[in-house]
Amino acid sequence: MKQERAATDHILALTLKIGAYTAFALIVAGVLLQFVTPFGSKITLAGVLVLLATPVLRIIVAGVQFVRERDMKYALVSLGVLCIVVLAYFLGIQT
Amino acid sequence: MTLGVAFLLVVLGFLAGGFGALAGLGGGIILTPVLAIYFHLPIHQAIGISLLSVIATSTATSSQYVEHHVTDVRLGMTLELATTMGALIAALVAQHMNRRTLAVLFVCFLAYSAASMVKKAWGSRQEEHQTTVPDYKVRNYPLGLGASLIAGGLSGLLGIGGGPIKVPVMYLFMKVPLRVATATSNFMIGVTAATSAYIYWGRGDMKTSVAIAAPLVGGVFAGSLLGARLAPKVKTFYILVLLIVVMGWLAAEMLYKVVTGGLS
Repeated sequence: MKQERAATDHILALTLKIGAYTAFALIVAGVLLQFVTPFGSKITLAGVLVLLATPVLRIIVAGVQFVRERDMKYALVSLGVLCIVVLAYFLGIQT
Repeated sequence: MTLGVAFLLVVLGFLAGGFGALAGLGGGIILTPVLAIYFHLPIHQAIGISLLSVIATSTATSSQYVEHHVTDVRLGMTLELATTMGALIAALVAQHMNRRTLAVLFVCFLAYSAASMVKKAWGSRQEEHQTTVPDYKVRNYPLGLGASLIAGGLSGLLGIGGGPIKVPVMYLFMKVPLRVATATSNFMIGVTAATSAYIYWGRGDMKTSVAIAAPLVGGVFAGSLLGARLAPKVKTFYILVLLIVVMGWLAAEMLYKVVTGGLS
């Protein structure tokens, strides 16, 4: 195992973990609070948005990490995936 | 929504996420039909909600596999080029497909997945848990990309992860060890499902469903975090058998609804 690959794995795992636990905490808090205050549903929505954003964040983090490793081939692959996902986002809004 | 329904959704999510993580399955394959059949949601809405659960499972469980260097991140990113493209196209097409066609497609995929799990269950009786990842060289990228395009397409159409398509192709044709193939497929699912989720979200199929999706996703998170932790310690044979029965039942029920026109 190369040192760089281990570092990439670590930072990606961290990104996924932070995204997962943040979304989880917000959603649980929101679901419980919505029975008490209308503001609860706003927290829930924030949790769902974090959930939706985490995969994109993960692509960006991977891409940046590949650039730092001077692995331009996979940096480009990451950029390609990012472009498709962003395209989906805009197509979704338009249609 | 009443407290009772919310509680039911949490339990459903917990079971789907937990058993899904134990069996290496997204959980979407269980959730879409259950939401459509028993919660009487329109199938497009059920798919959108299921996609959120699939993202939750993938995000919650893949961090552990990535951390332990089981996931092949480079292979995953490469195949994601195809899965996201497939998901994008399929999510656009799905809007124009009627619910019966989607339901029939779903029944076919349920049957296929159940069959592939029978094979897996049979194998799990003898196989020891692999603890180390052997060296390997990835082969046959074109075939892998083609299968990923189809898997991504099914993900966007049906609100599933597409693991039962990608894992065998990576294992059998790309010569990736089974454990790596499963972890990498799981890693890709989040991005793939997010791609089609954006389109469903933009269409408004999801904004109205946040109230239903949230308790479900909360349950899925808890279930899959627990499942992923237990997975290395649990004998999967009985879990696989249970899931095969559940999937068979859901396929039959959905087919019955299609024939009798009882699907909303």
